Amino acid sequence: MTNATGMALRQVRKSYGATNVVHGIDLDVAAGEFVVFVGPSGCGKSTLLRMIAGLEEVTDGEISIGGRDVTDLDPSQRGIAMVFQSYALYPHMSVRDNLGFGLKMANTPKAEIETRVTAAAKILKIEPLLERRPGQLSGGQRQRVAIGRAIVRKPDVFLFDEPLSNLDAELRVSMRIEIARLHKELGNTMIYVTHDQTEAMTLADKIVVLRDGRIEQVGTPREVYEHPDNIFVAGFIGSPKMNFLAGVAANDGFDLAGKTFPLGYSLAEPGTPVTVGIRPEHIEVGPSGAATFSVEVDFSEYLGGTQYLYATLADGQSLVIEHRENTEILGDGSITVSCDPGRIEVFSATGRRMRR
Amino acid sequence: MSMTIATPVAAAEKPRRRARKNRQLQGLLYIAPAVILVTIFFVIPVLFTVWMSFHNWPLLGQPSWIGLGNYTRMFSDTRFAAALSFTAYYTVIATIAIFALAFPLALFVQNERRGVSAYRTIFFMPVVVGLATASLLWVWLANVDSGLFSPILRMFGVTGRSANLLATFNNAFPTIIVMVVWKIVGFTMIILLTGLQSIPSDLIEAARIDGAGRWQRFRFLTLPLMRRTLALALILSVTGSVLAFDQFYIMTSGGPQNRMISVVYYIFNQSFVSFQLGYGSALSIVLLGILVALSVVQLWLLRVGDDK
Repeated sequence: MTNATGMALRQVRKSYGATNVVHGIDLDVAAGEFVVFVGPSGCGKSTLLRMIAGLEEVTDGEISIGGRDVTDLDPSQRGIAMVFQSYALYPHMSVRDNLGFGLKMANTPKAEIETRVTAAAKILKIEPLLERRPGQLSGGQRQRVAIGRAIVRKPDVFLFDEPLSNLDAELRVSMRIEIARLHKELGNTMIYVTHDQTEAMTLADKIVVLRDGRIEQVGTPREVYEHPDNIFVAGFIGSPKMNFLAGVAANDGFDLAGKTFPLGYSLAEPGTPVTVGIRPEHIEVGPSGAATFSVEVDFSEYLGGTQYLYATLADGQSLVIEHRENTEILGDGSITVSCDPGRIEVFSATGRRMRR
Repeated sequence: MSMTIATPVAAAEKPRRRARKNRQLQGLLYIAPAVILVTIFFVIPVLFTVWMSFHNWPLLGQPSWIGLGNYTRMFSDTRFAAALSFTAYYTVIATIAIFALAFPLALFVQNERRGVSAYRTIFFMPVVVGLATASLLWVWLANVDSGLFSPILRMFGVTGRSANLLATFNNAFPTIIVMVVWKIVGFTMIILLTGLQSIPSDLIEAARIDGAGRWQRFRFLTLPLMRRTLALALILSVTGSVLAFDQFYIMTSGGPQNRMISVVYYIFNQSFVSFQLGYGSALSIVLLGILVALSVVQLWLLRVGDDK
């Protein structure tokens, strides 16, 4: 039923009394895969992770790790280790004791605890900190210790619950790279929960987009970005957000702002209302692409490498354009922009992506 | 447009110094009520007690200076030694009994379960009764004929005829301990509960993942993280027990064969029964010293302060 050292969820549900928060999740995680659960707050991603960890009871369904049903096992017997958002280091113990606590609980011989703690400290470069207390460490150092405590347990699966949320922006980037390096070095299966799509995109082998306790899409970062299954995923992944414009299906394309755009295939019965999704970075200034239209630029933001143009279409719908060329576009003017029809996503009224 | 900072340094100095002085005066004003109260009701009485303790001080008539006479007298006072040893015995038994019950109760009411606030209220209720009131209530409960315990014991055939619970030391002492535990345990429970609730839940979860069982989590996480709370509860409990008076005075009047005379009771007897106010003052000062020493030792044992 399950793969050798990976993980599988089968119809996993969670409810608090009459309130269902996780509705039948099915998911396979291959051995050594880095899976990121991403979604807005309250989507159930943390609850799902805590169910995998065994900190939250599973109302219904089955969780297996490495082919072993762990649904009702104690957290310590699941072969997992978890890194908490708050680090959850034991404040009254030295870093060394924090790292070795799990092994001590398992009655591991002192000498082996020592070697494994030293090895983990070496991987994370926290050897000079071993005798300190968590209170004497900076946020980034605490995060390393928390990760070290997970490594020492030699788990089958690492679980990360928004581990970088409490760090400042600069540290977040360097720890993100650190975690990616760690995954490459250790090769373990890792499950990572975040609401930050940059972390999701950069770290994941596989992104699981969740909303309201349901999986909206599972795929590689590229799949999720380039072929979102629905309007929610399309809007959630990508920054700035994808432009959603109200259009109408036409023969071989769609009508938008009084103009027909050919796609080369029919979406639906002509006249059916559709939502047209175009990413800001896929719109080019100038009439080079196949689908051209003119917009009125209201104002712009200059960010150094790029410029965001806030514009309106002829029918008043607003649109954001990411302009990367080094020529400055001044506000208050009409310009022609174009885009590759292949990069345009069209969604039905129910939010599903429409393809030929 | 240019901005100028025109204030010369020297001119700015004076108002600033005045402002600081003002702020200090303001601070003094804020703490003044507390300082006055503490001075009138603690510092002056203590100093006066120290002064009295160097005198032979009768209720009426002229006090006479006897130096350390009252203090040297204590060493040969066997009744004081008996009071000390009884108080120590009572303190140890009462503190152990209170903690042995308060900790499980705190753990019990910590979890969000159905009706938990009702349990908390019920356990805490006796605390709001005054100790003297509670003692009187228990005198009635322990009454041979019209009480509660004796008839119940007889009804279930535990005792052949109605037993007078307060008549012998071996019955009266446990009765008083039970009364004190009933009265105090809710208070200790609430203190311990605040300590338990201050432990972040993800620490406990991390320990669960680390494979620590219920007892190990208690031993390696809960107890060390509650050190400050434990110190507070312990000092309050020990201080309260060392100062015990009401229950012995009201329930047993010093107990069968005068075997329940606590230190405070003895001080009371010396001062207001025998009217040896000087000797009573000296005993009070010694008791104060004992309490301070006990508290320092407890704080040191629990290592409060070096939390880093």
